[in-house]
Amino acid sequence: MKRNSLVLLAFFGCMSLAHARLQVVATLPDFAALTTEIGGEWVDVKSIAKGTQDPHFIEAKPSFMRVVHDADLVIANGLELEVGWLPSILRGARNPKVMEGNPGFLDLGASIQALDIPRGSVSRADGDVHASGNPHYNLDPIRMGDCAQRIADRLGQLDASHSQFYLDKAVAFRKRMIEKTKAWTARIKASGVHQVVTYHKSFTYFFNRFGITSPAMLEPKPGIPPTSTHILEVIRILRDQKVPLILVENYFDPTVTERIRQDLPSVRSKTVAIQVGGDPEIKTYDDLIEKLVQAVESASGRGRS
Amino acid sequence: MYLRLLRTSVFCVSLVGGVFSFGLAHAEVSIKGKSMNPDISANFLGLWQQGTGISNTRTTTSHNGFSLQEAELQLTSDVDPYFRASVLFAISQTAGSTEFGIEPEEVFVETLSLPSFTVRAGKFKMALGKHNMLHTHAFPFIDAPLIHERLLGGEGLNEVGVSAAALVPTPWYSEFTAQVFNPSNETFYGSSSSSSLGTVFHWKNLWDLSDALTLEVGLSGSHGKTAADQSAHLWGSDITLKWRPSEGGKYHALIWTTEYLDGTHAELATTTSGDAQNRLNGIATWIQWQFAERWWLQGRYEHLGLSENFAIPSENRESLLLGYFPSEFSGLRLQYDLLSTQNKLKDDHRIALQAVFSIGAHPAHAY
Repeated sequence: MKRNSLVLLAFFGCMSLAHARLQVVATLPDFAALTTEIGGEWVDVKSIAKGTQDPHFIEAKPSFMRVVHDADLVIANGLELEVGWLPSILRGARNPKVMEGNPGFLDLGASIQALDIPRGSVSRADGDVHASGNPHYNLDPIRMGDCAQRIADRLGQLDASHSQFYLDKAVAFRKRMIEKTKAWTARIKASGVHQVVTYHKSFTYFFNRFGITSPAMLEPKPGIPPTSTHILEVIRILRDQKVPLILVENYFDPTVTERIRQDLPSVRSKTVAIQVGGDPEIKTYDDLIEKLVQAVESASGRGRS
Repeated sequence: MYLRLLRTSVFCVSLVGGVFSFGLAHAEVSIKGKSMNPDISANFLGLWQQGTGISNTRTTTSHNGFSLQEAELQLTSDVDPYFRASVLFAISQTAGSTEFGIEPEEVFVETLSLPSFTVRAGKFKMALGKHNMLHTHAFPFIDAPLIHERLLGGEGLNEVGVSAAALVPTPWYSEFTAQVFNPSNETFYGSSSSSSLGTVFHWKNLWDLSDALTLEVGLSGSHGKTAADQSAHLWGSDITLKWRPSEGGKYHALIWTTEYLDGTHAELATTTSGDAQNRLNGIATWIQWQFAERWWLQGRYEHLGLSENFAIPSENRESLLLGYFPSEFSGLRLQYDLLSTQNKLKDDHRIALQAVFSIGAHPAHAY
């Protein structure tokens, strides 16, 4: 009898310990990776999008609603990136804790300094433009350092007993990113690559951080697939400006670059992951940026030097 | 006088306080955009069709030639931290006339802050199966399945009432919905007494079979009174397999949906036979295949009248659709239908071209 109740006590003790871990759902895998690093053993983290998926077009699967229903915190990219799917998931989850405006909802985009904010009025004739600015800040390690800080603050608010733990981890991440960014910047400078063409404007923050400019996109307008006339124009730009490298985000079809390589065999074209998990080798945020820096280095010595 | 002044000022302060806190709560919001105005959007459905079984009379709502099939104007917004409201007006041709009428297709508020529950009140599309809940612009084909049109009419089961939907605590997604309404449907229900109540229940289940594949199974039923105050009921089931790979998911997807609907109604076919008790059921199954970023190829098979019912001739329809979507906001769809009706010597053919456009706020898509 006594032993039974002891077993029961131990069982419920384990249950409550398991339950004590904060349940966090991040919309994108990069924020999930960040939260895993900051929260350590005190959080359970899940990501809605996968690293191989276009974050603009995630489907609001009811199974995500089930996951968000049990969450203590939802971390979103914001800047309208998830506008087509996150509101449906949040409503379907029926979890007041994580509704916008409550401590269980963290919109990281609200506090970052956005780039590419359109001037004047925006129109869909310009393609898929975001009125609040370019939403792909996940490729800037410095801004992600700031995000780490905000994640730690929020985790600490929801779980005060480990707030110092979270803060220390975030500070460590931020410091490491500042250090690594110095090294990455030096390597990109040494590579002599100053211009890169990409498929979509996913690299705006990355290029801005590492001193690269992007004279053209393979998409004629954001969200509009490449057309043959536009590709001819891109070929002209690549040739005239001696651009050495094309990076294609891994959720886009890279076959469009074959036509370009026929005309310009010296241009290097690479398909790259732009989110954690986008490639099985990319397990952490550090891996992600490291791989992208290597991709830029791979075009070293080509084009204008 | 003094007291009244005091009361007024207290009212003013609380009003200002209310407005202020509303502003604060929404100041940071950016996942849905920055404006305090409701999200406004409009959809247009332009149609050209030519069919052997379709009227040439312009006053018939579905006629040969060009027509504005429907325009929808939608306003949605969070009311406050507790409620969300949605208003959708549909503008379409009035039967028997070439004029257009505006109808409140859906006008409802629903709760945002109840744990596990969503309570909705107003006029809305009832949770009878899957297809009945879709707006015209979101129909997988240009028209609704035959069984839906015959049993529920052009508008579907879209009534005034109250709904409660609960997330069932199971490891998979499971939702149970119960709805109560005043039956006023154009074909099936139609009790003249406003105290007559109809009910709908729906049980929806969804499993992730893999990262790419989901299986959804739903069961639904409904009960209400007919125009002659006689009992009538409906039940239905639906099954959907949806595949979209997590690599290359922008370019390929496959959806297979099957829906069964069964209605028992004393007056369903009195015009043709005078039978006392009549039953009409049917099945529709369709496959939607996205074979390139902007292209969909779809096929549908329908059979109306599964159980022998000599009062109502059975019908078969086969449809093929090719869809081209330049962006999320525009589309062109070409559909061919072959309809064969029991006891009718000649089959009917139809070809239709539909243009779908939406402008305004970016919609959050349903799965």
